[in-house]
Amino acid sequence: MASRPLPLPAPAAATAGRSPFAPLAAPLSLLAVWQLACMSGLFPPQVLVPPSEVARTLWLMAGSGELERHIGDSLYRLAFGFAIGALAGLAFGAAIALSRLAEAAFSPLFLTLWQVPVIAFIPTMVLFLGINEPFKIAIVAVAAFFPIALATFDAVRGVPRAWFEVARVYRTRLPDLVRRILIPATVPAVLTGLRIALTRAWIVLVAAELLAADSGIGQMMEMGRQLFQLDVVLAGVVVSGLIGFLLDRGAREIERRATKWRTA
Amino acid sequence: MNALLSRRAPRLALGLIAPALLLAGWQWLATSGGASAVALAPLGSVAAAFVELVGNGTIFGDIVATLTRAFTGFAIGAGLGVATGTATAVWPLLNRVIAPLLNALRQVPMIGWLPLIGLWFGTGEGSELIVVCLGAFFPAMLNTHAGIANVEQRYLDVGEVFRFTTGQRFRRILLPAAMPLILTGLTQALAFAWIGTLASELLMGAGGGLGVTLQTAQVQQRLDVILVTVAITAILGFAINQIIARVRREVLRWQPASI
Repeated sequence: MASRPLPLPAPAAATAGRSPFAPLAAPLSLLAVWQLACMSGLFPPQVLVPPSEVARTLWLMAGSGELERHIGDSLYRLAFGFAIGALAGLAFGAAIALSRLAEAAFSPLFLTLWQVPVIAFIPTMVLFLGINEPFKIAIVAVAAFFPIALATFDAVRGVPRAWFEVARVYRTRLPDLVRRILIPATVPAVLTGLRIALTRAWIVLVAAELLAADSGIGQMMEMGRQLFQLDVVLAGVVVSGLIGFLLDRGAREIERRATKWRTA
Repeated sequence: MNALLSRRAPRLALGLIAPALLLAGWQWLATSGGASAVALAPLGSVAAAFVELVGNGTIFGDIVATLTRAFTGFAIGAGLGVATGTATAVWPLLNRVIAPLLNALRQVPMIGWLPLIGLWFGTGEGSELIVVCLGAFFPAMLNTHAGIANVEQRYLDVGEVFRFTTGQRFRRILLPAAMPLILTGLTQALAFAWIGTLASELLMGAGGGLGVTLQTAQVQQRLDVILVTVAITAILGFAINQIIARVRREVLRWQPASI
């Protein structure tokens, strides 16, 4: 269902100003409104704690090493699972794009499974893999696999036939064909697929950690919720949002650099 | 080989091989009594679970509950999103004020809000609906804003010439010109509402619904029930996609075929 990549047009020209501080406008204004709402006394502290309190909690958790442990565990799972899912997605996407036989054999099953939101796979995977590390890494891998396989398929299919014909004329061997034609021609679309898969994998990981984990950002929030520690929950919201944002930004930057030669 | 593959029947048969092998391997593992057989349910029991769930009607109750939640949340969330997107596109001042706020808020993934919403509103059906609304809101808002804010100036100039009133301008220029992007936003909003519904049901487990059934079945180790429910999720997701595609074609019929 989540088949469409989400183009995110910036809703405001306000954030695209020339001032170097412009990117800070969004978080700062949110913090200001948040702090003002707390100071107005409209919300009791059981409902909304001020950002200063959340910052203090984050500071204390960072001091005790707890925050680093949660973030480290989450990022490790993300990296490990994403690497597996990405490799499998690239290989599978390229295979069904290049071979008509592979496409006919595997695309119906692939497209059927694609209809299921990855989150709905969580209960099945818990029964098979338990609730420990293998489960979390596997769910991240599955979340990453589908968008990457689809993007790779589209990218490889999109390479003009004529280019392959030129390669045939020059009797290019397969390794050269991959290195000099296939990879340069498909890199932009595949990178977009990788970026979308990365942010999606992050969301699914947080969901999986909310359900079952002994560490990680999601588990930190879930524990905070059960113990009514609003500051911890809000700290988790801030951290998960920040990590998601930074992952997307980092991936966009890589995408921009890798495709610079195209526009030049 | 290629001639064979271009025909419909062999293609179809070929496509069935992988699922058939999967099922055969599944059945073999489930009945061979190895270590993994504890988790695996033989195909017979999956079919039995399907008959049971259909027979006592629980599955229909779940489908209705999930679809109701998804579409209610979509209607509220996407409605507010389109309204907000329109407002921020028409009044730059409003945009200046609230766009940074919304921009910061939308960095948090929909599921990241779950614990906070659970803390504020409890883990009931209301909280599930809020998650769905939240998921539908942002894509609808962003795309509506982009659609209306980027209407070509020459269209607006024509409106000037005809001395359109504000209402006319909105109804006859802005809205039709922005319609493709608004529809894209609504499409994404529905997809997010659908995922948000299943996620919130799975994580909060309140009321009825397919996600709640999945959650209960996981606790009871009923893989057969899980598989039936996942299959129904897939079918519903596919049906929703088809409806979206059809609506899009209908509404945008006047457009050149490229969009």
